[in-house]
Amino acid sequence: MKKEKIIRKGAEASLYYGHWFDKEVIFKYRLPKKYRIEELDMRIRTERTLNEARALIKVKNYGINVPQVFEIDSTNSTIIMKYIQGDKLKDILSDLDNDQKVRYFNEIGRVIATLHKNGHIHGDITTSNIILTPNKDIFLIDFGLHAYSDTIEDKSVDLHLLKRVLISSHGKDYECCFTAFLNGYKSEYNKVDSSECDQIIKNIDAIETRGRYIKSDQRL
Amino acid sequence: MKKKCLGIESTAHTFSAGILDFDGNVYSLINDIFIPEEGGLHPALVREQHLNNFMRIINRALTEAKISAKNLNLIAFSQSPGLGPVLKIGAWVARILSQVLEIPIIGVNHCIGHIEIGRLKCNIEDPLTLYVSGGNTIVSAFESERYQIFGETLDLALGNMIDSFARDAGLQHPGGPKIETLALRSKNFIPLPYIVKGMDLSFSGLYTAAKNLLHSDEYNKKYNLNDIAYSLQETAFGMLSEVTERALAHTEKKEVLLTGGVAANKRLQAMIEIISKEHDARFEVVPIKYAGDNGAMIGWAGILRYKAEGGFNISETIIKPKKRMDEITIPWRS
Repeated sequence: MKKEKIIRKGAEASLYYGHWFDKEVIFKYRLPKKYRIEELDMRIRTERTLNEARALIKVKNYGINVPQVFEIDSTNSTIIMKYIQGDKLKDILSDLDNDQKVRYFNEIGRVIATLHKNGHIHGDITTSNIILTPNKDIFLIDFGLHAYSDTIEDKSVDLHLLKRVLISSHGKDYECCFTAFLNGYKSEYNKVDSSECDQIIKNIDAIETRGRYIKSDQRL
Repeated sequence: MKKKCLGIESTAHTFSAGILDFDGNVYSLINDIFIPEEGGLHPALVREQHLNNFMRIINRALTEAKISAKNLNLIAFSQSPGLGPVLKIGAWVARILSQVLEIPIIGVNHCIGHIEIGRLKCNIEDPLTLYVSGGNTIVSAFESERYQIFGETLDLALGNMIDSFARDAGLQHPGGPKIETLALRSKNFIPLPYIVKGMDLSFSGLYTAAKNLLHSDEYNKKYNLNDIAYSLQETAFGMLSEVTERALAHTEKKEVLLTGGVAANKRLQAMIEIISKEHDARFEVVPIKYAGDNGAMIGWAGILRYKAEGGFNISETIIKPKKRMDEITIPWRS
């Protein structure tokens, strides 16, 4: 077991590439925060580490591609998981042709619907947290903000975040990508409850009219 | 003689008049603060106190600055956000003065006032600002022509939450400083809800949990008020610090400014200082006189806007109790 190089240093956690037995892995290490008292800091880091690891393990049961968890070291707030080779969707989205965009976002929509209909909220669906592998598989990563919920509101908020990311970071692709995403989402969610699915999508508009992200004259 | 501005603050419990020149030198600053006998800030009662006192406050500000009203060149007032009935007082006093003295009038967003006086008094250029008070909890920085809000509370303001808890514990208003003192007497941490949603915060669950501890059978047996005060502060400030750090990492600002009434809290200052150091950012706390609500900050933000855009028409001086600061462009920094 060896951390070899750091690949990302975030505000909350650092990601290291390395090997675990003979497997290529990522060490996700939640850093201690000196500004918090140790008791509180330890509790938060342990809770979030366990929550994320549990989520990764659970959602795999629904056939969703997420990194395999190999080891959880809660005392060091570290998750050791499979290294997923591929590109962040964020980095390659503009290089894809229209058919590919539609196909991938349709698939992403189905993946997120699968999570939602089973009561899982990803919490941070952005194009940085979706990896496209060389085999053209879609992997969902970073379940650090994962939550369990069956409410329409929480599911809508999850979708709303993706919508905002698409608008702010991929403006010209937003229209075709988000439409394809919603089509995929509906096709999967409708298998269990089409009226709930409609309410979730309709509620995205309601969230927009509420928040801080819009001009005052458009507010309800 | 240098041009002078009278700034009038009237958004909540403080009615304040500040007189300063167009270079930012403050000649006088007089405050009158509403302190409730019981409960919180009832808008009607606050309004009554301000109505009874505004003349005296403005006159004292003029006397202390050793000028007459005729020497004023600009009137600035707090136009947003705040309690409607209270905002109205500052607005109409400002309108009358502007008409009688025949000088320009300018409306100021209270939150922008806090940031601008902080930049002036701490001599800081482009900070990430943490503005924490009884009415606001905002992490903000200047980006694309505005003071953008990166994180904020989704329900209670931090100061309001602490004051409300203090009231439930039988402490007199304002409760914040009392809670800070009690917290120093404990090292016994009780786990409480710690709610961070992305860069936003939620304090309502924390408040309820802390309040419930007061009514529990174990109160004054397993733990006492000192312990709750300590745990409440550590949890709430921990949340706030986490969001601040995230915003600092995201914006890559090299300065951090702490302002608002809660900025006086030493424990909060220490936490934000640690984060600033780790990110190689200069850390400044706005001097307490200018960190709380005050007329000087309204005057200074008014001067900046007046220099950039000129005064308002009377029709533009209507109060906006719910206006957000990220809806307002900042021409003097663009």
